[in-house]
Amino acid sequence: MGTAIRLTVNTKRAELEVEPHVTLLEVLRDELGLTGTKEGCGSGECGACTVLLDGDPVCSCLVLAVEAANREVVTIEGLAVGGELHPVQRAFAENGGFQCGFCAPGMILAAVALLRRSPHPTEAEIRAALVGNLCRCTGYDKAVRAVQIAAEEVARG
Amino acid sequence: MDSMTVVGTSLAVRGGAAKARGEARFAADVQLPGMAVARLLTSPHAHAEIVSIDTRRAEAMPGVFAVITRADVPTVDAADLSTRTHAFLARRFAVFAGQPVAAVAARDIATAEEALRAVEVVYRVLPAVLGIEAALRPDAAAVSRESAKPAADAAEANVASRIEIRGGDTDVAFAQADVVLEGSYRVPMFHQGYLEPHAVVAHWDRPDHVDVWACVQSPFGARGLIVDALGIPSHSVTLHTTEIGGAFGGKDTGLFSPLAVLLAKKACRPVRLALTRQDDMTGANPSPQVEARIRLAATRDGQLAAIEGVVRVNVGAHRGSAAPDVCFMILHKYRFPAYRLEAIDVATNTVSFGAYRAPQALQAAFVIESMLDDLARKLEMDPLELRERNLIREGEASVTGRTIPRHGGLAVLRAMRDHAIWQDTPSREDDATGMLRGRGAALGLWGSGAFPASAIARLEQGGFVRFVIGQVDLTGSYTSLAQIAAETLGVPADRVLMTKGDTDTAPYASVSGGSSTIYSMGAAVRDAAADLREKILEKAATELGAQRDDVSFDNGEVYVRAHPERRCTLARLYDLETDLFAATGAPHVARGSVGSMSLRESAPCFAGALAEVTVDPKTGQVRVCRLVAVQDVGKAINPRLVEGQMQGAVAQATGAALWEGIEYDAEGHIANPDFLDYRMPTSADVPSIETVFLEEPGGDGPYGAKGVGEPPVIAPAAAIANAVADAIGRRITELPITPERVWLACNGESAGT
Repeated sequence: MGTAIRLTVNTKRAELEVEPHVTLLEVLRDELGLTGTKEGCGSGECGACTVLLDGDPVCSCLVLAVEAANREVVTIEGLAVGGELHPVQRAFAENGGFQCGFCAPGMILAAVALLRRSPHPTEAEIRAALVGNLCRCTGYDKAVRAVQIAAEEVARG
Repeated sequence: MDSMTVVGTSLAVRGGAAKARGEARFAADVQLPGMAVARLLTSPHAHAEIVSIDTRRAEAMPGVFAVITRADVPTVDAADLSTRTHAFLARRFAVFAGQPVAAVAARDIATAEEALRAVEVVYRVLPAVLGIEAALRPDAAAVSRESAKPAADAAEANVASRIEIRGGDTDVAFAQADVVLEGSYRVPMFHQGYLEPHAVVAHWDRPDHVDVWACVQSPFGARGLIVDALGIPSHSVTLHTTEIGGAFGGKDTGLFSPLAVLLAKKACRPVRLALTRQDDMTGANPSPQVEARIRLAATRDGQLAAIEGVVRVNVGAHRGSAAPDVCFMILHKYRFPAYRLEAIDVATNTVSFGAYRAPQALQAAFVIESMLDDLARKLEMDPLELRERNLIREGEASVTGRTIPRHGGLAVLRAMRDHAIWQDTPSREDDATGMLRGRGAALGLWGSGAFPASAIARLEQGGFVRFVIGQVDLTGSYTSLAQIAAETLGVPADRVLMTKGDTDTAPYASVSGGSSTIYSMGAAVRDAAADLREKILEKAATELGAQRDDVSFDNGEVYVRAHPERRCTLARLYDLETDLFAATGAPHVARGSVGSMSLRESAPCFAGALAEVTVDPKTGQVRVCRLVAVQDVGKAINPRLVEGQMQGAVAQATGAALWEGIEYDAEGHIANPDFLDYRMPTSADVPSIETVFLEEPGGDGPYGAKGVGEPPVIAPAAAIANAVADAIGRRITELPITPERVWLACNGESAGT
């Protein structure tokens, strides 16, 4: 007794039948096989499941799949264009922005959203933008630097 | 070693792009056809006898593939139900709230959760033993134990172990001391806080063989746990490792694999058990709760004379011992002419403890480093000077009777003293805002894990070199291992391939933990690389018609020194090795193996921390303004990765200092089993963390490397506590240093007692 929904995930259209209680996170991971989006807490406290919903970072564990109907979702798998890493992805990977990598997809997407709305953020703005993305490995220092490095690269074009 | 080209460079981490793309596969990402998902039914009671479990209604539900309870656990000879290994499902008793009582495999999570509600368990609730103090009362109820071994003393039923560590004459020392200090300290349980909850996928591909993918630090240990818990032969289990979403000691052998293995067997299909955050917070293995009551004696000029006291550790409901470790680590950095510490492990109806990054060292440092700071204040001495005066030196005897090897403790203390935070005297009160400012220092000591490890290496087509190891790639360790291999072989790092073997294909390796990966596996990789290099030179010399001693190896090519134009590539050597008719001999499998702690020296790793804080006396709020980690790393194989380890550890310790701590309610339930209430540091809570690393010689590590991962977590909590004491002029003796405790201390109440 599911509800038929349509949504766009990483520029591809998807049509699904979902139960009303199913979250966007479950659909992404279990229905669409997009396991880059992680579940760390299931209650919107850690940010590991962050995706972009119409461009805004959201915890996909708190969004029901039916709420995502007719909207556009970008997951970490949709960020690299033509195999080329997004500057934020590259900056994190090359500068120790993550260690275990479990928080990385969510944190990278939160940083991408930040740079779209504020291309030249201060350190305080970066720290505020990442406040919903817990990381237990890095102490955040290198994540913040990675965002700064990515911002410079985006600005250079 | 001046000519090193690969070791000592900050190469980008291997697998970084895959993690950034979301392609790295963690245990919960393993997807198999027909796979069921699992949920745990856990005990709502801290202590209860399980009278009956009725699963019939749950099993009859559509979409439910299997329900397991104690009735499904095979009888295993020598099973000791007082251990977590064997008590993975509650049997007669549930001994902590959160202990698994049943598990369900179903087609989806919603069905599994519905089935949990349909499992009918009848409990006979027993009095719960909660808290160290209550557990030790003569009239205390006893934590139920299902082992054959009864308590040695019925009057002390909850004393899991009690030992005394003593040396010298403390009575005389205290009687003659110029200064005596005493204090009581308390540290709660901390969760390791890994972002990825425990996860395991199990799949019986044949009736007598199961494939297991688990997020564990020790693949062989994890296989051993399944074999021991279920009584099946080791060849029936293949443990495949995955990426690990943080572990910090909490995922050593994995606690939950036997549940998934049993479920998969009964469900006749693959099963994924990914714990909920709440189940992980309540039922995994946090660090133990520690209480210490200590007296310290010293001379007027700042020589420590004696220490005595009692350390009590809540080890939870299952077997374990941690109090002696705390005592040893209270003692191990400084020279105590006389000491007498009683170590008591106490059983209670709480979750049993596990390893958390430098287990028990943070707690021990909080005790002794707080006391040394108070002593320095009393003697009007510089706290770092006091530490320097009492630091145990090379050649002296340790508490364990071992002779202290060469170490970098003095260099670390002096680097801390020379740092700007220590040199600039902070104002104790900031006039403009009414904030109190303080600075603090603390010292930590840990060992480099000298654990058994082995590696194999071989030439690959095209001139690559492949290393196969049975350890996981924890936060960049494969990158550093490849650097060691490349440096030893004399090839560029990108010619080195690292393969994570499973327990069928990899040579044995111990846990990725205990600051052992570079020290021990790095040494095994170095030895395998040296073995391969020797064989390459020998074979190439034959091929070039030269003597072994007349050829050299450079940048992946062997050449005759007198005729550098006569060269042989590794690609050519591979072709020769695998040629049916070539004369260069058999394919060479290179090996490196290193032995255990008893055979090899464990290099001491000193790591200090400096903190500067402001305290708002009106609210008790502590703000950490600056944090500096100073560490003797021996040799930084990859400086960026070393820095990352140090920064991450300091942030974790800051959480322990100010916010974290598992809280139990009066019924023995964890009151904060989520990230909202168990407050880990966010990006806005910690400042940019400065790192200073020293490269002091010593130890047996590859290229002089010492253990790196654990040492930096030890000192920062004590340094922050000392900075708060400096700021407010009162000592907080209980972690975390919450606004409430600070406010009470600032306003004349005694906090933390």
